[in-house]
Amino acid sequence: MKFRIKYADRIVGLFVVLAAVLLCVSVVVLGGNQRWFARNYHFTSRFASGGGIAPGTAINMKGFQVGKIERITLNADNEVDVDFVIYDTYLEKAKHNSILELVTSPIGLGSQLLFHPGKGEARLEEGAFVPTADSPEGQALLEQELVDIPPKDDTITRLLANVNPLLENVNKTVVTVNRTLTEVNRALAGQSSGPLGQIVGDAADTMAGVEALVVGVKDQAQSVVAKADDLVSSINRITLNLEATTEALRDPTGLVPKLLDPKGSIKTILDDKNALYNSLIGSLAETQKTLRNIQSMTTTLNAQMPTIAATLEETRTAIGKAQDVLEGLKNNPLLRGGIPERRDQAPVYQSLRDAEL
Amino acid sequence: MTLGLWLERIGRTLRERLYGLFYGLGYFFNVLKESILFFKRRQVGFRVLVMQILFTGYEALRISAVLALAIGVAINLIGSSLLAGFGQGKLMYTLLIIVITRELGPLLTAFIVIARSGTAIATELGGMVVAHEIEAYVAVGVNPITYLAAPRVLGVVISMMVLTVYFNVFGLFGSFAVMQLLKPVAFQEYMKNLVEVLTVGDLLLGLVKSLVFGVIISVVSTYRGFAVERSTTEVPVAGIRAVGTSFILCIVADAALTAVLYLG
Repeated sequence: MKFRIKYADRIVGLFVVLAAVLLCVSVVVLGGNQRWFARNYHFTSRFASGGGIAPGTAINMKGFQVGKIERITLNADNEVDVDFVIYDTYLEKAKHNSILELVTSPIGLGSQLLFHPGKGEARLEEGAFVPTADSPEGQALLEQELVDIPPKDDTITRLLANVNPLLENVNKTVVTVNRTLTEVNRALAGQSSGPLGQIVGDAADTMAGVEALVVGVKDQAQSVVAKADDLVSSINRITLNLEATTEALRDPTGLVPKLLDPKGSIKTILDDKNALYNSLIGSLAETQKTLRNIQSMTTTLNAQMPTIAATLEETRTAIGKAQDVLEGLKNNPLLRGGIPERRDQAPVYQSLRDAEL
Repeated sequence: MTLGLWLERIGRTLRERLYGLFYGLGYFFNVLKESILFFKRRQVGFRVLVMQILFTGYEALRISAVLALAIGVAINLIGSSLLAGFGQGKLMYTLLIIVITRELGPLLTAFIVIARSGTAIATELGGMVVAHEIEAYVAVGVNPITYLAAPRVLGVVISMMVLTVYFNVFGLFGSFAVMQLLKPVAFQEYMKNLVEVLTVGDLLLGLVKSLVFGVIISVVSTYRGFAVERSTTEVPVAGIRAVGTSFILCIVADAALTAVLYLG
């Protein structure tokens, strides 16, 4: 009889029992791995939506699964109550002020539920409420720095997370440009009371003021020039007289000897009962008066110079802004190139006093 | 052919098919009942059961082990080279579980059992019918289903489940041993990754499939064997039909169970 026929019972018994033992060992090992024999600690949380979470969803911390969701229910306030467990091996991590964060992949790679342990010393009691990061409680904990959310280590997630603010900024910029264009159009149409309208109005007023000022300055300058002409005429006459006097002094047979002659004019002058003296005093008084007039005119001009300089500066600024507006309008409606950056030329001097003439 | 004759043929075919269907269902439930009661009547055909397990299970272990090792090594090689190239090396373990434990393991074991035992059971019972042994059993008051079919059904079912367990062992761990010769991997790392992916549900699904396949193979084979009427030429035909029907039903059942698992 063949061996296996003779010992069929034993062979079959060993065959079956060994398989049963292998199966039992496998079940025990897998059961241990699936935490059949370990204790879980229950906690609760609340989410605004049940999207991305489901019973069995893993709760991760630093890449390790520290727990999982057991049950989710929609409550009377249309919020989602979540019952979850933390494994006994990670219970020490569940400190006060801990929060949950649901991270959804922006490129459709699913979602991940993260556990961020609080900075508190005390451990969370079983059954405690753990807020989510986007809830008011969670936000308060984050603002008080009672819990930290570490930066995401996924490059794509980080990049895409930065895209949203950029897009928001672009959106805001577009809205602002639209508003600006609208404002510019309204200002140019004379319908705006805003800053740009004021600028345009101010520029127009300033230009009118400049025109009036220029007229005034022109009048004053003409009067000053007329007075200066009179003064120059007087000085010319004096100069001619001085030349004649000098020539006379050079001539030995001229006026000076005659004046020095005891019978000459000097004596006559000295004996004229101060008539010549009085005449000279009068001439000097007239000369002094003329000089005072010149001094007062110069003072007036000096006093007017800051006003003139400020006016000219305002005029220059207004013209610059008007140039910007016109440049922007030229580029309107698509703002081609926008308003170019303009570099202001620093004034060489602030007033005539600062000038090195 | 007149319309009346044509309709008569359709009606007769339909009646015979319905009769065959109800006969088969009756046979199936009868076999199931006798198999459940088998251990209550263990004096009946226990030796047949042992020999069936020896033939269907133990003797098929070698080919099953070779098949499991080959598939396991192939998946290990794919996982350690192709999948690792995509940065998805860990998917190898998922693939290993799906192929070895859930899908191909039970199905390939079923094919082995069909090829070896299905044909054998059908031809053996067919030969017994032709030799009037079945009539003799009936004549002496022995129920042929109780004595011949039930131990074979139980033997095939038990063998299928046991072979599936061994298929898993050889496919998951034997392939690891072979892989050490080709591309060494740390055993602890391999076990850790494997246990992370493998669940008790995967094992149970494999066992449930093997149970269903075992019932299908054994019931179909015994049915085809008992369906032989009088000629010895019907015996090999019964074997062929047993293989064909078992293949189709096993594949359909596998698809149905997989659908229930993934859709349920």
